[in-house]
Amino acid sequence: MIEIDHVSKSYNKGAVRAVDDLTLTVPPGEIFGFLGPNGAGKTTTIKMIVGILKPDAGTIRIAGLDNGAEALRCKAMTAYVPDEPEIYERLKGIEYLNFMGDVYGVSGGERRNRIEHWLQAFELSRAVADPIQTYSHGMRQKIILTAALMVKPKVFVLDEPMVGLDPRSSHLLKEAMREHCDGGGTLFFSTHIMEVAERLCDRIAIIHKGRLAACGTMAELRDQAKDKASLENIFLELTET
Amino acid sequence: MSPTAALIKAALNSNFGWSIVRHRLFVQKRDRWMVPLVALGVVGVVPTLVLYVRLLGDVFDMLNSLGQEKALLTLAVLAGQLMILVFGLFYLIATFYFSRDLEYLIALPLKPSQILLSKFAVVLINEYLTMAPFILPALIVYGFKRHGDPGYWLIMPLTYILLPVIPLTAAGLVVVGMMRLVNVGRKKDLLIISGSLVLIAAALFLQFGLSRAAGTSDLDTQQIMSMIASPDGLVQTIGRRFPPAIWATRFLHDGLMTASGLSAFALFSGLSILLFGGLMAGAQRLFFGGLVGLSERSGVRVRGGKALAIKFSSGCHPVRAIFLREVRLMNRTPIFLLNGVLGVLLIPIVLALTLSSSKQGTDSADILRLMTSAKPATGILVTTMFMIVCATLSGVASSSFSREGRKFWISKVIPVGYRQQVSAKFLHSSAIALLGIGSAVAVLALRFHLGAWQWLSSLALALPVTAFITSLNLAVDLARPLLDWISPQKAMKQNLNVLIAMLFDLGFLFLYGLAFVALGKSGLSLGAVIGIMATFGVGLACLAFTLVSQFALRRYPSIET
Ligand SMILES: Nc1ncnc2c1ncn2[C@@H]1O[C@H](COP(=O)(O)OP(=O)(O)O)[C@@H](O)[C@H]1O
Ligand SMILES: [Mg+2]
Repeated sequence: MIEIDHVSKSYNKGAVRAVDDLTLTVPPGEIFGFLGPNGAGKTTTIKMIVGILKPDAGTIRIAGLDNGAEALRCKAMTAYVPDEPEIYERLKGIEYLNFMGDVYGVSGGERRNRIEHWLQAFELSRAVADPIQTYSHGMRQKIILTAALMVKPKVFVLDEPMVGLDPRSSHLLKEAMREHCDGGGTLFFSTHIMEVAERLCDRIAIIHKGRLAACGTMAELRDQAKDKASLENIFLELTET
Repeated sequence: MSPTAALIKAALNSNFGWSIVRHRLFVQKRDRWMVPLVALGVVGVVPTLVLYVRLLGDVFDMLNSLGQEKALLTLAVLAGQLMILVFGLFYLIATFYFSRDLEYLIALPLKPSQILLSKFAVVLINEYLTMAPFILPALIVYGFKRHGDPGYWLIMPLTYILLPVIPLTAAGLVVVGMMRLVNVGRKKDLLIISGSLVLIAAALFLQFGLSRAAGTSDLDTQQIMSMIASPDGLVQTIGRRFPPAIWATRFLHDGLMTASGLSAFALFSGLSILLFGGLMAGAQRLFFGGLVGLSERSGVRVRGGKALAIKFSSGCHPVRAIFLREVRLMNRTPIFLLNGVLGVLLIPIVLALTLSSSKQGTDSADILRLMTSAKPATGILVTTMFMIVCATLSGVASSSFSREGRKFWISKVIPVGYRQQVSAKFLHSSAIALLGIGSAVAVLALRFHLGAWQWLSSLALALPVTAFITSLNLAVDLARPLLDWISPQKAMKQNLNVLIAMLFDLGFLFLYGLAFVALGKSGLSLGAVIGIMATFGVGLACLAFTLVSQFALRRYPSIET
């Protein structure tokens, strides 16, 4: 479970209000989609959840623990996949995976099984012995995903994970997300692709200019909007300027 | 605006970055503390410049009394063009090979010569700025000293503008040709490392060669007399290998109104235009060919056959994992490797060579004399300082956080305590410092034949101080890490933290030396002094490590990326 409680964050000493008094609860067992136009504050929110950014105000709790005061325990429960696959280019893929396994304390046997499974699935088995600097954008993303899936934490936080993935990998990822939530895990991911959100998510929040515009299941969102045809229409209506 | 002009403007802007400075200062309100620092730097440069101008004046007077004042021009032009050749090669390689925008530029509907021209313009402006403080004073002093020739003031700026063209186009042709011949794209790392090693070797060779030559003059008196006797003697001697310097001297000195001046100017500008045209024409044919494969990264990929056996580690302690990461990231990034492992191994050797090749009466000879001094206390203090400097000068600790760059987010999300992360960094920096100390000890024992007692005592003093300085340097970088870089050069070589840390270190070493000397004068035995200072060092090292770990807990959460 992730609880975001009256969280605000601004950049440039207050000049840009990226997230403005946001309150959200992400319950376990549901795929939670975080929607919003470009620059709405999705990445900023996610970075606060995983501890990269410090909120100006408000608190974030992960499984009931404050992610500022109990940072280490929160991090041990969370795997994060960033929007930009910026990882150690000078390491080989396998070295990166081993590093992540070491710092998250994944045991040798589990590590081997999960890595082999996901490398096979993402067709990275051969490339994993190469330096990451030889990888394409999508391959880098897949190696980060592999690391996250190897760790297999309670909480997944993914920032635009489908962007840049080929259809096959994207499909595999969606299945993995489903499986994680069916097993009682928590999953929070941002996207701006309506079809993905509509078909995949159990619950959706829409953020606009740093503020929460709507939150609920697809059915609840439909009730709030005048034009109920599709999520796309609801989205357009809510994020009109 | 024509495409060429627009491209040049964009290239200049992105390189001299006025808009990004403006954004950082006025929009983001960051880096404001730099403004007074820059002002201070400017103020600091002025006295040096005044001194330089005085020196030039003296040289002019001296040459003038021999009737050879023209040689000052030849020297200035020659020095300027040599500088341009050397720096130009590096600037050009950097902009042609290592600028990321090339990949995008190729895709635009631009001619190769246009791209090359825009890159060339950036390098050219860089060159004007680089050589200004060295060459302009010489040209200006000459003008003032040789009273009353208004024509000179017209020709001089023109000369300055033309000056870089010949050497820079020559360098450009070499680089473009090299790009075509060698597929450097795949061997960038190797290129940087071997290039730098060659440069170090060349510097050492120069150092040796020059000090040797200065020691035993090869020119006999007769040669010198005949050189001075002819009015152009010195000019010819200096410029013999590089005629354009002589041409420039001629038209600067004689003016364009004379036949000799005009012909020299025609030769100089003619050659400039010819070379420039050659480069642009060459670009059409060679530049794109060389660009192919530029974006390829090195790395062996085995195609076909069975998948390689993957090495799974079965788990190790997080501190060890982070230590390993630090080692790999440093040793696999050429710039870091050169400054880190290779650097600390080489610094003592270079220092030793400099020390032993210098003549009596110079500073370095004094240091050597002190080191092997008859007074054991002095000897030990100086060797201790030598070891510490060799161990910590590299900037490994003071760029430890900066080197993570845009990957710093990983350190913030992994479930490893900040204290442990700092411990791993401390271990890594210390390991490299130990390499430096090892190399220093080897040099001291093998080259200078210091007795075991002396270097062992120094070792006992140097080790704790090195640990202290390592923590101190980590703290400096942690206070303000430079994370937004693309070229690794920025993280280490051009990182202000490295410089600031060095100032702190030197300040501390000064105080440490004072304490050592004061203690020595108090009548204690040398053994007791060493014992006290070593214990004091251990205490400081422990304190500093505790403090930097504590600081990490406070500082890490507020470093945002
Ligand atoms: N490092 C930063 N510095 C200044 N402003 C930023 C920074 N990162 C994001 N912003 C601003 O914060 C707002 C929200 O950005 P972000 O959270 O990245 O949006 P999203 O991920 O929804 O596209 C935008 O207006 C953006 O310009
Ligand atoms: Mg985003």
